[in-house]
Amino acid sequence: MEIQLLQQPDSAIAKVILEANEEIVAEAGAMIAMSPHINANTTLRQGKGGGLLGGLKRLLGGESLFLSVFRSLGRSGEIYLAPDFMGDLLVYEMQGEELIAQSTAYVASASTVDVDLGFPGFKRAILSGESLFWLTISGHGPVLLSSFGAIYSVPVNGEYIVDTGHIVAFERSLNFDIGKPPGSTWLSTFLGGEGFVCRFKGRGTVYCQTHNPGAFGRLVGSQLPPR
Amino acid sequence: MKYEIKYKPAFSTIFVTLGSGESITAEAGAMASMDGALTMKTHWFGGFFSALLKSWFGGESLFANTFSNPTNQPRTLVLTQSSVGDIEALPLQGKTFGFEAGTYIAHIGNVKLGVRWAGFKSWFSGEGLFKLQASGDGTIFFGGYGGISKKQVSGEFIVDTGHLLAYESTLKMNIGLAGGLFGSVTSGEGFVMKLVGRGDVYMQSRSIDGLVKFLRPKL
Repeated sequence: MEIQLLQQPDSAIAKVILEANEEIVAEAGAMIAMSPHINANTTLRQGKGGGLLGGLKRLLGGESLFLSVFRSLGRSGEIYLAPDFMGDLLVYEMQGEELIAQSTAYVASASTVDVDLGFPGFKRAILSGESLFWLTISGHGPVLLSSFGAIYSVPVNGEYIVDTGHIVAFERSLNFDIGKPPGSTWLSTFLGGEGFVCRFKGRGTVYCQTHNPGAFGRLVGSQLPPR
Repeated sequence: MKYEIKYKPAFSTIFVTLGSGESITAEAGAMASMDGALTMKTHWFGGFFSALLKSWFGGESLFANTFSNPTNQPRTLVLTQSSVGDIEALPLQGKTFGFEAGTYIAHIGNVKLGVRWAGFKSWFSGEGLFKLQASGDGTIFFGGYGGISKKQVSGEFIVDTGHLLAYESTLKMNIGLAGGLFGSVTSGEGFVMKLVGRGDVYMQSRSIDGLVKFLRPKL
């Protein structure tokens, strides 16, 4: 398949060209438009992170129980995919190494990619204050991830710090630790509006988003009537 | 020090490169990511009492962070805002500017930040009792919701409430109605800010109020 990203960085949409009988798995609701001979099916996904248990975990992660599988019958076809939020898109080519991503970032992937909810490495994820769930992505093939804000990549060589609300995905080869920002006190962390940060060490790439949906949500939400 | 504001105008973000020994101060929460070798020191936003005033009336955070580079290599830092929109780098050059609540992001160099009484006119129009005032010869970074437009006022200029970001202190601000009383109510414009004098004014192309009005019936 070929994936072209259009309208970056604030209104990104992915134009996917599938070869004859090729398929792509996508989040429910991600499809904007497609060729008429593309067949859409719902699935609970096969493999790691699949089956009914995988679907239930997805529900917990705020995603939908089912996923859609789009298959281009007989000849090549095109499908346009986009996330709900304004923001950017990233195509990451999986080559057997693991990629850890925010669960809300997942849009679509080739069926040869395994997506499992949960990442045991983040023992202190609950403390992070951002209600994030993480996905462990493995296998081979492209995965399409979305963000709030533009996506910028940082090749880490040494140490790099990212606010937890700004992480889209990172390569598993990196060592990481979640904590409060350096030089701040617990008081400033809770009163000052700083969230938690993730400290990455070693070698690998971190994909960051320029904006934090929680922060924008609070800005608008504070003026909306209570539900 | 180098800075570049990328991803304009919707997701404007400041990419800063600090040289050895250089620093930049930003409001709490502005840091998106940074090199691990930079130090970050949290302090009251301009002194304890001033910080309280800024927080209660100025809509700013109680805290600010100063990022410094103790190493001998240039290091990078990424600063952003909560809002979706543009960011402007304003070199003050000795002038004084008033900023609406929540617009301040960061500053470099010699900038004195204080809280000033904005007057009842300002409060009545929904812009708050106090405003943030910045003076000095450094550069201040501020942002808003939507795109930022700049106008050099000479005489009188009207800006809709909710769209004012910053204005030079040489301008006098008055509040008025958009049309007559009936016209203001029916046109939906309501109150407006009248700026008189000579100076620069910065406006945002969208207002959070506008977004809230749009969303409210849909909830």
